[in-house]
Amino acid sequence: MLFLQLLANGLQVGAIYALTAAGFSLIFGSTKIFHFAHGATFAIAAYLFHFALAGLGLHWTFAVAVSATSAVVFGVLLDRFMYAPIQRHEGSFFTVFVASFGIGIVVQNLLGSVFGRGFMSVATPLSNSVEVMPGLYLSPLNGLAIVSAIICFVALHFFLTHTFVGKGLRALSENPELVRTFGLSPRRLSTYAFALGSLLVVPGAIFTAAGTGINPAVGHHVMLISLAATIVGGIGSLRGAACAGLLIGVAENLAMWKLGTQWSEAITFAILFFFIIFKPSGFFGRATVS
Amino acid sequence: MLRKTLSAIAFAIGLASAASVQADDIEIGAVFPLSGPNATYGDIFMSGAELAARHINEDGMLSGDLKILYEDSQALPQQGVVAMNKLVNVEGVPYVLSAFTGVSKAISTLAQRSQTVAVNGGGVGPDLAELGEYFWNVIPLANNEVGALAKYAVEDLGHKRFTLVYVDDPLGESILNELEKTLPPLGAELVESHSVAASAQQFSGVAARVRSDNPDVVYVASYGSQQLQIVKQLRDNGVKAQIASYSAFSVPELQVQDEAQGALFTTQSIEWDSEDPVTKRFVDDYKAEHDKNPTSYIANYYNAVRVFALLAQALEAQDKELTGANLLAQRKATDTFDLVGGEVSFQENGTLLAPIQVLEVDGSGSGKVVSVKASD
Repeated sequence: MLFLQLLANGLQVGAIYALTAAGFSLIFGSTKIFHFAHGATFAIAAYLFHFALAGLGLHWTFAVAVSATSAVVFGVLLDRFMYAPIQRHEGSFFTVFVASFGIGIVVQNLLGSVFGRGFMSVATPLSNSVEVMPGLYLSPLNGLAIVSAIICFVALHFFLTHTFVGKGLRALSENPELVRTFGLSPRRLSTYAFALGSLLVVPGAIFTAAGTGINPAVGHHVMLISLAATIVGGIGSLRGAACAGLLIGVAENLAMWKLGTQWSEAITFAILFFFIIFKPSGFFGRATVS
Repeated sequence: MLRKTLSAIAFAIGLASAASVQADDIEIGAVFPLSGPNATYGDIFMSGAELAARHINEDGMLSGDLKILYEDSQALPQQGVVAMNKLVNVEGVPYVLSAFTGVSKAISTLAQRSQTVAVNGGGVGPDLAELGEYFWNVIPLANNEVGALAKYAVEDLGHKRFTLVYVDDPLGESILNELEKTLPPLGAELVESHSVAASAQQFSGVAARVRSDNPDVVYVASYGSQQLQIVKQLRDNGVKAQIASYSAFSVPELQVQDEAQGALFTTQSIEWDSEDPVTKRFVDDYKAEHDKNPTSYIANYYNAVRVFALLAQALEAQDKELTGANLLAQRKATDTFDLVGGEVSFQENGTLLAPIQVLEVDGSGSGKVVSVKASD
């Protein structure tokens, strides 16, 4: 029964990881910008959801809207006013990384100053588990996280394959020059990538605020997982990042079935090293020759 | 020309006034977590230290104003050493407040080498009592706290099976060792121990493992945001056993956390409604300033600063310099100190001896005392 319990927990955690990793992968794959502040987007979405719900007393639907809007606005502003100028001045990959890393630290400290540096969580009965069969406890949040992830991925797939912008984003990741030839603006598509990628962290941020609770440093872990999932899934592959996020979540939990609890986090890196050594192109990435 | 002359005069006046401020101030240092996930502790520690400095300056205990220079450790040993280096080698302070077991251990070598007194009021690892004569503790250590909690849980509540969830650092290790040592003589057992990384935030799997241990008591040995996350996720995931911990549970956020209600924790015994003048002034002024009850951490750092003032006052009366070596010699020559909580004395190893109380989290902000045990 412990195995089943850990598997159920792993699926919930993996669903959240899959969404955040897909967001990071979408941005990185399309724009080649190492958006380290993706974790900061997650933290902002979580904090503003908590603030709108508990601080302003808004209905949860409005709180979700506040959270989603803040995540999208933050992502787009970063793209427009930080990454775009750096790229205009032909800043290197490393310059972008350092700038993004710096923004992550600034956001962490700002959130601490505004909302306090302590722990916060959304008080909801949805996080309380009930015993559905002897030894197996599930909370409504378990199911909601998984269902939300499925809905988001179906919607994302539809958007990328059936809309003009979606096709443009896919083209941007393949060949930015060709995109220009067809009269599309890579800059505008980049903005769409940031908006969409940032939006994908919102469900995870909300479920984290309600389930595990948040603190200003919550984005670091998210970023770590997103990065690992992007490499394991194959750089540029949304499907790969999603599968890898799910795999990492499930593996983190199942590791506790036979191993000590301290192995839970280490297993992420074990998976990462395994892929780097034996399958550097990841799940669905294409092998490249340099 | 006139502008240049005026600028030069203003600069000279500025320098002179800065020099006079420096000459009057008596400075001590503090290495606290001011950013990162444990920054909430830094705010708590500062509130106690600042209140003590205010009282000392209001009373004119010292020849100049006492000022505390804060440096950020982020609760990390490496950052703590950088901060300590600055305080000792750049600022030249003789006395530094320290917090967290890992940080305290890391800075103790520098304290010993530079003959700077380092005083811990937050870390509880038992080996903090063995870091040299320049390292003092104004907080009872985990060996006292774990022993008192175990006795209460076993003898008064009849619990026998303990499970430990502990952070994988020197503090967590020391509590694991204490539980392994303390429980068998009481007729109880540590059925399982689960270590978690200091950065971990997901504990639903740990909760599943804890449930399968079927314990009477889950002892949580962590701190900061992580301990609140552990408690929440244990309860959310169906763990109904008694939750217990050490003085880290005396932070305000945990005291009002729904999932933590009923949890047991230990601190040194302080009678908050005591008529003792030092305690009464501390409690009244803290409540007036913050509109809530103080906790033991706040009292510890108030006491740490007050110990400095009492020693410095005695040294100034003897026309002696305020150096770490003189502060140490004066502490050894002083039998008792009037601190918050009453008259206390230091043990030979530089650690305060105080009785331990077991409290229950009841939403009041400081917990309800359920038992007081003498320190072993």
